Amino acid sequence: MIDINIFFYTGIFLAIIGSLATAWGPKVKDPIVRTLNTEVASIGISLILLCYNHTLALLTLMATTVIVTLILFRAITRLEEMGADV
Amino acid sequence: MLVPEFVPGIFSSMYLPAIYAGLIVGFIGLMAIAMEKRDIHILILTDIVGLAMLIIVGAVGTDLAEALILPGLVVELAEIMAISEILISREMHKIESNKKKMPKNASIFPLPLVLDMEIMTTSSNFLALVLIGYGVFLTGFTGGAVAGGGVLLYVISRKSRGLPIFVFDGISGVSGISWCLWIIGFALFFIAPNLWLLSLTLAACGLLMKVASKLGLIGILMREEFKRE
Repeated sequence: MIDINIFFYTGIFLAIIGSLATAWGPKVKDPIVRTLNTEVASIGISLILLCYNHTLALLTLMATTVIVTLILFRAITRLEEMGADV
Repeated sequence: MLVPEFVPGIFSSMYLPAIYAGLIVGFIGLMAIAMEKRDIHILILTDIVGLAMLIIVGAVGTDLAEALILPGLVVELAEIMAISEILISREMHKIESNKKKMPKNASIFPLPLVLDMEIMTTSSNFLALVLIGYGVFLTGFTGGAVAGGGVLLYVISRKSRGLPIFVFDGISGVSGISWCLWIIGFALFFIAPNLWLLSLTLAACGLLMKVASKLGLIGILMREEFKRE
């Protein structure tokens, strides 16, 4: 039996590291890189929810993460092609 | 600290680290929002604050947490959709007021993407009907996701090109009705607890319509991108 605390603390570590990387990570002047860095934090949240047996919340989090990433990419590419300052 | 006896011991031992992690992540996100100037970056960073909210709510560790996480996620999704649309239209106004030339074909994909699968033209109606029927049978959040998948398939497929504007308004109306159903079910749960089955069904049907209509709206939003040659 694997200790559940391993997954829990890995999740917390990934969430904090991911949010740090999103806030002040390397090359975050590019909004695409910043959007991709949020994925690290959301993997951490997925591990935490997995430890708490929140199955439905985990599935919804995965679905909404994909949709939010698509919406942000659409907004970023639209803004860049319009020549706005991103 | 008072812990109800139905919370497992392992969850109550994980409570404090999760709360502190949530506070740290939220603090990092808010500090970054305070230091950032450009709007699209602030929009991306609100995602991090939403994730911090998820940790803190999820740390409760009972079914209540799960029931609170689901609406939180859906509301966050709707909020990010709305704010990104507002940002795009505001930039358009700025560029137009500066009398600059506006590039015409701004799109989500850098290359033209044509979804030209045979299943889109031959059996889209049947597949959408099966998915919506199964979703209505399931009810609740899962049913809403399945039925919404059916609506999404129908909207994206070739058959329904040129959807009139009142369909869009109608979907918004259905969304309002479903909130009413959900709130009535919620209030009935406390006013008349012996009607719990009725209020549960009301809330489940409201949630079904809510999620299905939201996925349908996303489909309408994305269809203009898919149709581009």
